[in-house]
Parts: sequence; structure tokens; C-alpha cells
Amino acid sequence: MSASAPASFDLREGGEARPRHLGRRLAQSSLLRVLGRRLLAAIPVMWGVTFLTFLVMNLVPGNVARSLLGATATPAQVNHYEAQLGLNHPFFTLYGNWLGNVLQGNFGNSYSSHAPVTSTIASQLPVSFELIAYGFIISLVVAFPLALLAARRPNGIVDRISMAFSMAGVSIANYVLAVVLVWVFADVVSVFPAIGFVSIGTNFGENLRSLTLPAIAVGVPLAGFYTRLLRADLLEQMQREDYVITARAKGIGPWRVIVRHALRNSLFGLITVIALNFGTLLGAAVIIEQIFSLPGLGNGLIQAIGNHDTPVIEATVLIFALMTVAGNLLADVLYAVIDPRIRYGSTAE
Amino acid sequence: MSGESAATAAAQSAAAAAPDAAAATSELLVVDGLRVDFHGAGQHVRAVDGLSYAVRRGQTVAMIGESGCGKTVSSRALIALLPRTARVTGSIRFEGRELVGLPEKRMREVRGAEISMVFQDPTRSLNPTMRVGEQIVESVRAHSDTARAPARARALELMRLVRLPAAAERFDQYPHQLSGGMRQRVMIAIAIAGEPKLLIADEATTALDVTTQAQIMELLRDIQRRLGMTLIMISHDLGLAATFADEVLVMYAGRAVERAPTRTLFEDVRMPYTKALIDSIPRLSDPPHMVLNVVAGQAPSLAALPPGCPFAPRCPRASEECRETEPPFSEQEPDHAWACWHPLGAQDGLA
Amino acid sequence: MAAQPSSAGVAGALSLPLSEGAAAPSGRLRRTLKITIPAGMLLVIFFLCFLGPLIFAVPGPTYTNILDANEGLFSHHHLLGTDQVGYDILSRILYGGRASLEIALAVNGIGMAVGGFFGMVAGYVGGWRDAVMMRFIDVLIAFPGIVLAIAIAERLGPSEFHVILALTVFSVPAFARLSRAATLRVREETFVVAARLSGTRTNRLLLRHVLPNILPQLITFNLLGMGIVVVLEGALSFLNLGIPSPQPSWGNMIANGQTVLTAEPRLVIVPSIALFITVLSLNLLGDGLREHWSAR
Repeated sequence: MSASAPASFDLREGGEARPRHLGRRLAQSSLLRVLGRRLLAAIPVMWGVTFLTFLVMNLVPGNVARSLLGATATPAQVNHYEAQLGLNHPFFTLYGNWLGNVLQGNFGNSYSSHAPVTSTIASQLPVSFELIAYGFIISLVVAFPLALLAARRPNGIVDRISMAFSMAGVSIANYVLAVVLVWVFADVVSVFPAIGFVSIGTNFGENLRSLTLPAIAVGVPLAGFYTRLLRADLLEQMQREDYVITARAKGIGPWRVIVRHALRNSLFGLITVIALNFGTLLGAAVIIEQIFSLPGLGNGLIQAIGNHDTPVIEATVLIFALMTVAGNLLADVLYAVIDPRIRYGSTAE
Repeated sequence: MSGESAATAAAQSAAAAAPDAAAATSELLVVDGLRVDFHGAGQHVRAVDGLSYAVRRGQTVAMIGESGCGKTVSSRALIALLPRTARVTGSIRFEGRELVGLPEKRMREVRGAEISMVFQDPTRSLNPTMRVGEQIVESVRAHSDTARAPARARALELMRLVRLPAAAERFDQYPHQLSGGMRQRVMIAIAIAGEPKLLIADEATTALDVTTQAQIMELLRDIQRRLGMTLIMISHDLGLAATFADEVLVMYAGRAVERAPTRTLFEDVRMPYTKALIDSIPRLSDPPHMVLNVVAGQAPSLAALPPGCPFAPRCPRASEECRETEPPFSEQEPDHAWACWHPLGAQDGLA
Repeated sequence: MAAQPSSAGVAGALSLPLSEGAAAPSGRLRRTLKITIPAGMLLVIFFLCFLGPLIFAVPGPTYTNILDANEGLFSHHHLLGTDQVGYDILSRILYGGRASLEIALAVNGIGMAVGGFFGMVAGYVGGWRDAVMMRFIDVLIAFPGIVLAIAIAERLGPSEFHVILALTVFSVPAFARLSRAATLRVREETFVVAARLSGTRTNRLLLRHVLPNILPQLITFNLLGMGIVVVLEGALSFLNLGIPSPQPSWGNMIANGQTVLTAEPRLVIVPSIALFITVLSLNLLGDGLREHWSAR
């Protein structure tokens, strides 16, 4: 790594020093180079994603026409319908056309509703996004305190309980949890609605209420996973890293050691895993939305499956994959920004 | 832990009433029969076996030994920085106060404020994601109710004290942006922030190049004089001890084997192991390309120590008695203690 | 490791994990229990699912007698009762388990063999070949497993084979990524570098030196992956895109039971418990093995 010129710092008297000229420093730094590389690497992946999506969806094109027409259709009728739908051109032509349209934001119209796919997806996206965000927040709210308490006294009571809980959380399928949650909280005790969604615009409180059970179903297995991970990383920092000994030698309290030293360094591992897991998180939304009849992307996908609605399926699958790539990229960015070793890459002369 | 505080309180009041309490004012640290055992994974290792020594105020004592001889473990035992698998027995009296068995809360008051440590590898011993200045400030605020701004000023002051160039700029940098020598200076700044009475430098210069080593040692000596600190320097480098230490304590296999003021040690060496260490120091006067003197054999595994003197397998003067009975560590000449059945005579020493 | 003298003793002692505490012997015992108990549980599950129907007299999973419908637990011929249509629950649990486990074994077997192999080679040789392979993997991994599986199921129709196909597309890249990361780490080990410098042929090097050292990680990942596949297959079947009715799968049993959840929770609870225990055992075993292997 090349040494960059010493950055200028403005140390205001009193209060903590803040790095000035962030933009300038970023421009010079290895940070932007790292990010640029990541972005560049993501492009072929995104293209590959479009290709694979199209490939999968056009594996057996005859299926679409045939299933829409019914089993009794004659080959001639199927061929005719295929021509109508524009499906009888060579593969790469079709791909090219489709990709061209997609890049312009045109995903065609749904076979069943005949509405433009783009508008359908646009209305579904916020719902899924809210569900995922809610579930993700729940998982962090549970995981952080548990992991910290567990790592504070390894093998203590809280540690054992949190380990058991996280193991159970990881082992339970989110759809099973969803069904059980519905049974307990909507059937046995009528606290949350079983199905039905209230949008944010209408009533925020009701909106949260309608999303709570689904979010728990998404968040609990995730919480189990993050708890184990964070705890393991924290223990690793506490037991094997020398800077923790230095921190203890200063005479500072154990909570400060865990939070201000160990946790800071554990966050990196956690962020990496969150990024790698983003796809799974999105996938979880699919089945949970279906169970709770939430008008999101996942449920839309399943409805479209039932209707053999190719344009919708294609578009939804593509969006899912692109969101995963984008999520990974975002995590990479975050990682590079908060890890001072990457952000200030140089070593002093 | 709570059960022990009653015993500790009793021990403390007993210590205060002890007849040598008056003499203890010049003796900052008295270690008596220190034992550290590690239990874990079916293994039982006695890392420190009956170590006893005393350090007077203002002294510089060097603890010398090969890797694994227990010098680091024993010094970490002073401020209870050992992992939970460690059991510490014996006595450690700091300013008359018994430290063994001290409740963790009290020990935190000791760490940093009374006894501080500087560690070997500043690359790994500093938090890589925290700014250097912040780490010093943390040390400043650990034992005083200083507000942020004055703490910052104090941290900058400390940085200048340890001769960090461009302190104001360095303050906001991260450890990886500093060189090895600079990082070690930061470590020292962290260690002296609480104005400790005793500073332990655990192989503080081992990871540095020779030039920087000399600078850091000079710095330590300077700071020691300025702040009136007592310094324990841990090293495997006897040459370093010769230059900087008032008194040298040689350790082997978890126990002390020789202790003497520096000059005495070199002129009047008694323990064959110490002699071998001295001989292994390369000298400028040696002919070039000479085979270096090394201490023959390997240090024993602490998990499986033979009976008798632990150095016997490698000692050219070893006898049956050496292999059967462990020699006691005792002061056999004024201010000069050793543990050997067949010590070298005065004529074996260096002039 | 054994050759190192006292420094290993103290250094080793200093690096002992805090969690071992003073109870050294019970630490080892607990570690062994963490492996043997879930392993035993899994053996029982496998035995019941694959051999059980041959040994115990249960009606076929799709055999139904409408007169027998809605029997409760411990009723005359039906240990776990029947569902609304008259299927015997116990039989469907066993056969459903067999299907799920078959799929899990197949998917992870292929994943470990193919993905593990490619990942190891790519990680070892590096260079543009590695970069290209990583791009492929990135593309495949960008699709959430369930999404891709659903799309494939829609195109090809639901069947056990299609489920295996779809989930393998998900599993192979995951193994490849893990295997590559592990290989990268092992590649820099001294003994590998030494072997390479002494002229060992790459194949032999990979087989004799790299593979045995990444195998533990692959195996633990396999076990954890089996849990994931069982859950995913259940999800697909739950959506009726996996194992097609009337063939049983824990997933479609739960979906079916959902319709009568209030009246007969048993129909959801029983397959849910079966699923939970199976996945839990797989996870516990994977975890226990990982602890055991990294404690060395």
C-alpha cells in the first residue's frame, strides 16, 4: 500500500477532534479505489444474473403457452399462441430484446392482470422492504444484548440460556414459526392479526401491528444466527487479542472493555455475515409474505407462479437477485468505510 | 470471590500490623512464594513455582530468562491479568497491601493507577479500530474524573512526554498509521497516564529494531527518573539488562535462580545458567564468523519437569545431587541470591 | 506441536480458552456428549425413516380409508392419528422424513463433491481461473435459494427430482465458496509450501495435503447445510412446489394442517416437531464436530 500524504487535521480545542476535509481525503484514499473495484466486479455479476434469470424462465418455453391454453391444446394452437406472445424467436434474440427492455425499465405486462409489471412491483417493493427491515431490526435488537451478556460471563447462566435459545432459533423453520405464531397470537389469543396488511399511509400503528408477527417469524431465526456469531467473535476478541489485555491493564471496567473494544472489532465479522446472508433474508420474505397474505414481492411471486405469469415471475426473480447483489455491495461499502485500516490505508513513514 | 474478601481484609490488617511494615516503605513490591498454575483441557502446568523477590522504590529490576520461563506470567499475576484457567497462590505485597485474592473491583483500581504494564507487541496490543489519542484519553480518564477536554490536553502532553513527533497530528491517527517505535511510545503513554508507581515493561523492546530499542529504553529510563517510578523490565536480553538495570533477577523454568545487582551479577556470577547466558552475548571483540555460544539443550516443558534442579539436564556441572534435590533459592552473599548446589566461584566471573 | 518445549506449555496455557474454566475433565466429556447425543438422535431418525416402515406395521402413506379420518393420537391403528382425509400421520411422517432426508443427502453430497472440488482447485490455482469461477459463483449465489427453486419448480413442475436439481444449484456454489476460502488458508501453511517447493505434483498435493485439511470444515458445513436443505425443501413443499401431493413431506403436511389449525393443531404440531428435532440434531452435530475439531 502506498503512503499517502499526511492528511490535515483540524484539532478544535475542547471536544473531540473530527477529521476534516473528508471528501478530499476520500478522493485521495485507497478507500475509493477499493470501492471502485467492488463496483466494477459487481457489474458482470449483475449481467450474469439477468442472463441466468432469462435462461431459467425460458427453459421450456412451450410450457407457458401450453399451460395457459390447457392440456387439450393442439401443437398447432400452442405454436400459434407462442407466436402471439412472441416466444418463437431464437433464444439470444429473445434475450437481447428482453434485456433491452429491462434496461429501459420495461418489464412487459402481466399475463393475468395485463397491468404493467413495473407498477405492480413498485407497489409491492415497499411492503417487502418494510417486512425485511422490521425483521432485521428485531434480530439485531435481540442478538446484541444476548451476545454481549453471554460473552461477559462465558458459561454463565445467561450464556447457556442464550446459546440454547439461539440454537433453537436457528433450527426452527421460519414458516413453522410463522404458523405457530399465528396459532398462538391470532387464534388462541387475539393480539395480532393473522392476515391482512395495513399500509403505512393508512395507519402507522396498525401497519406495525399487521407486520409484527411476520417480522418475528423472519427475525427470530436470524437472531439466533447472529447471536451465536457475535458471541463467538466477542469471545475470540476477548480471549485471543492482545489489545484486550492492554485495555484491562488500564483498569477500565469489563463492560467498557467488551463494548468499546471487543465489540467494535467484532462488528466487521458481523457485517460480512449479514452481507453474505442478505439473499437468505430476502428469500425468507417470500414464504412469510405468503403465509400472512402480505402484498409484497414474495407473495406476488407466488401468485404469479400459480398463474404461470412469466413476465411477473421473470421480473420478480430478477429484482430479488439484483437486490442481493446491491445489498452485498452496500455491506462492502459500509465495511470499507468503518474499518480504519481500509479507510486510512497508509502506514506512516 | 466474596468469601475471599473477608480473608483478604484479615490479611491486610495483619500485614499492616506486621513488624516489617516499617521496612516495607522502601520496598515497593514484595513477592513471596508466588505460584501460578494453569488448569485446562486435562493439562496442569505450573508456570511459576515459588518465585520470591523484592523491588525497592525507584529501582530498575530486570527479569531475565528464556521464553516460557514464567517471567511474563509472574508479572501478569501481579495485576491479575491472567486467563481464568490460572490459579495464583502465594503473596504479592504492593506497598504493604496484599494483591493475591484481591477482588476484581479493587484490582481495577490498582491497574493503571498503581501498577502499569507495557506489552511486547504494540501492533497487536493497540486496538486497531480506535484512534491512538482516544486510547490514551481512555487511560487518563480511567482513574480520574477528568472531563473530555482536559483529558485530551493531558493525552497530548503525555504524547509529547514520550517524544512522539507531531503529537497533534498523530492523536487522530490509527495504530496502523504509525511505525513500530511510535506505537510503543503510545503504549508507554497509555501506561503512565495514571501515574503508576510501578511500571512493568514486558519485553517492551523485543519487537523493535535495535536502534528503536535503544531509543525506547532511554525513554523509559528518562520517564522513570522524571516521574519517580519503579521499573521492572522483562527481557531475554541480558545485554539490555546490563545497560539499564540496577538489579537482575534470572528465572528458569518458573523459578528464580539468581539475583544480584547488575555489576555483581556479571562480575561474580554463580549460577551456571546465568554464566551461559552471559557467555552467549555476542561481543564486538569476538573474532568475526565465530560460532555463537548458545546454551545447550532446550528449556524443559513446564508440564513435565524432572525432579531436582530444572537446569540439571543442560548443566555442565550437574551432579547426582542436582538431579535429585532442588537447590533452594537463598541469599548466600550480601544482596546476592542463587539456587545452585555447585555455584561458580568468584574467579569464574567477568571483570 | 509436541516437539516444542516449555514455551508451548506456558504459551499453550495462556491461550487456553477462558470458557474451559477449572473443570477440565468435564470439558472433554461435554464436548463428546455434544457429538454423541445428536449423532445418536440422527441415527434414530434415519433408522425410523428409512427402515421404520419395513419394521413397524404402518399403512402406506397414501393409503386412506375415509372412515378412519380424524382419529386422534394413540387411537387404535394409528399411533399419531389420521388427518382429514384419512392418511395415517405416523406413516406420512416416516415417509416424508425419508423424502426430505434423501433430498438433503443428495443435494449436499453433490454440493460437497462438485462444489468442494471446484472451490479447492480454484482457491489453489488462483489467477484468472479463480476470478472467473468466483464470478460464476457470485451470480448463482445472488439468487435466494428459495426464489430460484420456486422458479425452476414452476417451469419444470413439482417433483422430488426437480427439488434436488433446484437446491443443488444453490448448494454447489455455497460449498465452492467455503472450500475456496478454506483452501486459501491452508495453501499458505508451511507444510503445503514445503511440499510445493519440493516439486510435488499439484494433484497429489491437493489430494494428500490440501484436502484432508479442508475436509473437517466441509463436513461441518455439510451437516449444517443438510439442515438448511431440509428446511428449504419443507418450504417448497409447503408452497406445493416441492414434493407433490399426495406424496408426503413434512412441509406439505404442515401446509395441509394449517387449514384446520384451530380444530386440530396436532396436524401441524407433529410434523413441525419432526422437522425441528431433525434440524436441531443436524445443527448440534455440526456444531459439536466443529468445536471438537478446532479444539485440537
